[in-house]
Amino acid sequence: MRENKRVHQIIVTITLLYLFIPLAATFLYSLSTTWNKTILPEGLTLKWFSELFQDPRFIDALMRTIQLTVGTMVVSILIMVPAIFAITVYAPRFEKWLQTIVLFPYAMPGVVAAVGLLSIYSKSGLSMVLVLGGSYFVLILPFMYQGVRNSLRTVNAKTLVEAAELLGASRSTAFWKVIVPNITPGIIVSSLLSFSVLFGEFVLANILVGGNFETIQIYLYRRLRESGHLSSAIVVSYFLLLLVLSWIMVSLSRRGTLKLKKKEPTV
Amino acid sequence: MSFLTIDNLSLSFGDVKVLNELSLSIKKGELVTLLGPSGCGKSTLLRSIAGLVEADNGTIVIDEKEVTHINPKDREVGMVFQSYALFPNMTVEENISFGLKMKKMSNSEIQQKVQSMIQLVGLNGKERSYPRELSGGQQQRAALGRALVVEPKVLLLDEPLSALDAQIRARLQTQIREIQQKLGITMVFVTHDQEEAMAISDRIFLMNNGEIAQSGSPVEIYTRPNSEFVARFMGHYNVLNTEELQQILGLDHGLEGDLFGIRPEAFSEVSTHDDELKVTGEVQQVSLLGNIVRYQLKTGTQYFFAEHLHRSHEYTKSGDIKTLYLSKKDVIPLT
Amino acid sequence: MKKKTNGFLWLSATPFFVLIIGFLFLPFIAMITSSFRKTGETSFSIANYTEVFSNKFYLQAIGNSLLISFLASLIGILVAVFVAYSITKFSSKGQERLLLLANMTSNFAGVPLAFAYIVLLGTSGLFTILFNELNIGIFQGFNLYSWFGLVIIYIYFQIPLAIMLLYPIYLGIEKKWKEAATLLGASPMQFWMKIGIPFIMPGIAGTFSILFANAMGAYATAYALVGSNFNLLPIRIGALISGDIFAQPELGSALAVFLGVSMTVALLINEWLMRLVRRDLA
Repeated sequence: MRENKRVHQIIVTITLLYLFIPLAATFLYSLSTTWNKTILPEGLTLKWFSELFQDPRFIDALMRTIQLTVGTMVVSILIMVPAIFAITVYAPRFEKWLQTIVLFPYAMPGVVAAVGLLSIYSKSGLSMVLVLGGSYFVLILPFMYQGVRNSLRTVNAKTLVEAAELLGASRSTAFWKVIVPNITPGIIVSSLLSFSVLFGEFVLANILVGGNFETIQIYLYRRLRESGHLSSAIVVSYFLLLLVLSWIMVSLSRRGTLKLKKKEPTV
Repeated sequence: MSFLTIDNLSLSFGDVKVLNELSLSIKKGELVTLLGPSGCGKSTLLRSIAGLVEADNGTIVIDEKEVTHINPKDREVGMVFQSYALFPNMTVEENISFGLKMKKMSNSEIQQKVQSMIQLVGLNGKERSYPRELSGGQQQRAALGRALVVEPKVLLLDEPLSALDAQIRARLQTQIREIQQKLGITMVFVTHDQEEAMAISDRIFLMNNGEIAQSGSPVEIYTRPNSEFVARFMGHYNVLNTEELQQILGLDHGLEGDLFGIRPEAFSEVSTHDDELKVTGEVQQVSLLGNIVRYQLKTGTQYFFAEHLHRSHEYTKSGDIKTLYLSKKDVIPLT
Repeated sequence: MKKKTNGFLWLSATPFFVLIIGFLFLPFIAMITSSFRKTGETSFSIANYTEVFSNKFYLQAIGNSLLISFLASLIGILVAVFVAYSITKFSSKGQERLLLLANMTSNFAGVPLAFAYIVLLGTSGLFTILFNELNIGIFQGFNLYSWFGLVIIYIYFQIPLAIMLLYPIYLGIEKKWKEAATLLGASPMQFWMKIGIPFIMPGIAGTFSILFANAMGAYATAYALVGSNFNLLPIRIGALISGDIFAQPELGSALAVFLGVSMTVALLINEWLMRLVRRDLA
């Protein structure tokens, strides 16, 4: 039995090494002065990071990405949450439809989605940045739907709404006062997940807006061949951001489960 | 004077008839139970009184006002749910005051009403607890308080105690009954547990297949079932046809009808008067159910059950021949 | 049947469906109709599809995509089958952390991943130099920008995804079953052969189809590595629709429809297999 355990530890360790070596290498590269002929870097420095964060083009790209993703997220939350709630609670007959719609984006990878979007909107006069935002709305739909749907199920939303209505609350009061506070943790988790998806999105951004609206991913792509060290610094920063987001997500959802698991006191 | 009247109510979900031209009337201050097996339509009936489902046909009148097509929030009915449905983001106090806030009452009035309700349901000291910090029984009392504080005309309770264990359930049954009598409120209580129904109701409506199979006081329903379904549901009635009855009682029992019900405890070990039927059977099995002993007996080829209070000096075992006495009026003809 | 109109429902569902129609359904329909139109004409034609299935170049792109997706998914799932099982042998705290790491690395794809591999295995990559200096020949003749290099990178992003999908399926194997089987006299080997593997098999196959769809649709990684030079289906589509002079959106649409259909098939297979697992559970 003991030996068995060791086998599992070895397997997991090797896998982790495999997954982390590219990251570690990038990390080291971002901290090294020059490193292209020797086994180890010739020196360590933070200058790539400081250079990066002083590059106005980078700051602009970062700001654009934040505006785009945060804007899309806010609109998505405001539109999706009430809609998913209203359909699951008041029109459960249509839930099957919704579930099918939600699967669509899975079957349409960015490059496929871009085909249709370009053919409709490229000559429509509508700003392609808005089109990109709209395509992001669709892209994160599955994540948002799952998260909101699960939260609604966990808090037993239908019964809560019935209880609130019998106590004299209107439908919108029931939604805002009773449902929203209880599904907020779930919404935050799926929003963070969606946020990290959007932050790493390259295909749609590249095809729909490309250089006209340089997001952080496009910036990285364009810098790849110019400066390896600077690119490393971007990748490392990007990964740190993912790390923080994942950590927040896990601790939030863990807090949620702890609440449910907490032992009931006896009468 | 009828306070809650349901007339000819029908409701189907797709092809399934859940309520079938059902009518009933309830007096003010009564506690009635809707009793029946799962799927009999009792919860649906309750939910249509609340307005959470809308019937296809028929009318519902509460306190002389027709509410059939009125929104739930305007019906002045309260409801306690099986899953409690307390708002998890609010404390006990906030839960109970929710309905009063919806009525836009003044803060001082809310404060005072909430306090006395907390007192009434016995949740003192738990005002600031969140639902997840309460035991099941406490949650149910908070839900009861939340529904009662708005002073509904009718309080509906949907299997409110079914998630609780036996001891707490018994205690809460008494408590609900006490509160109901103290406030004089009309209550409709849904349950599938016939003992619970008998313990707390003024009247029982026993439902089957979307219809009322029988209604009446607990005693009436228990002692005078009008059909095989009621007899089997209410107790462990022995249900026998004419032939089977003849095997047990002999040929000359002189009773008319096709189907009969005999409560197991109607068999007596001692004869009390002359006009009794005598039954002899071989004991097949003895089971001890706490204060009651149940025998399975066999006469000829017919099996039946008899129950007596448990007395420790008795030690009947299987194989024994037992003679029992049965009053003719306890052989109840069923339809 | 409903006599009251539900204002709240309408108010909240309308903007939602407007966006869904505008950015999901209309583009979808536009893509399909455009795939049945010859460039510059408006009449119905299947010329684009005949072109796709007779042109060696596009057939090669389809073949390359199918092959690379199949290989990367197969290797990814073979690795993950063992790793996910090993993870279940850790303490619950350890399992949680390992999944967090898997989740994080599964987000590490596309341009940043391609870059990390350039740093590691590119022409002047760290490993390339290291192994050259040490005179170890394992990377001799290795070219990251080749077909083989691409498979290596695809495997990288498949593994964490496969682990995350397989792990819950292993958790579905209840300890009780193993105990019951042991008490009935089964050896661990027999347990796996008779109960464990039959139980997880649909889950493994379903995961494989998700991985396959994931790889089929992947664009950014290959694009970041070698631009439009690599002949893969998504890359071809991207090149056909992006605004350069060779743009042929109708042909791109036909390829996109083909890609969408093949991914849908893969996902439907997964859906069907998952239902098998769930029926066993119920």
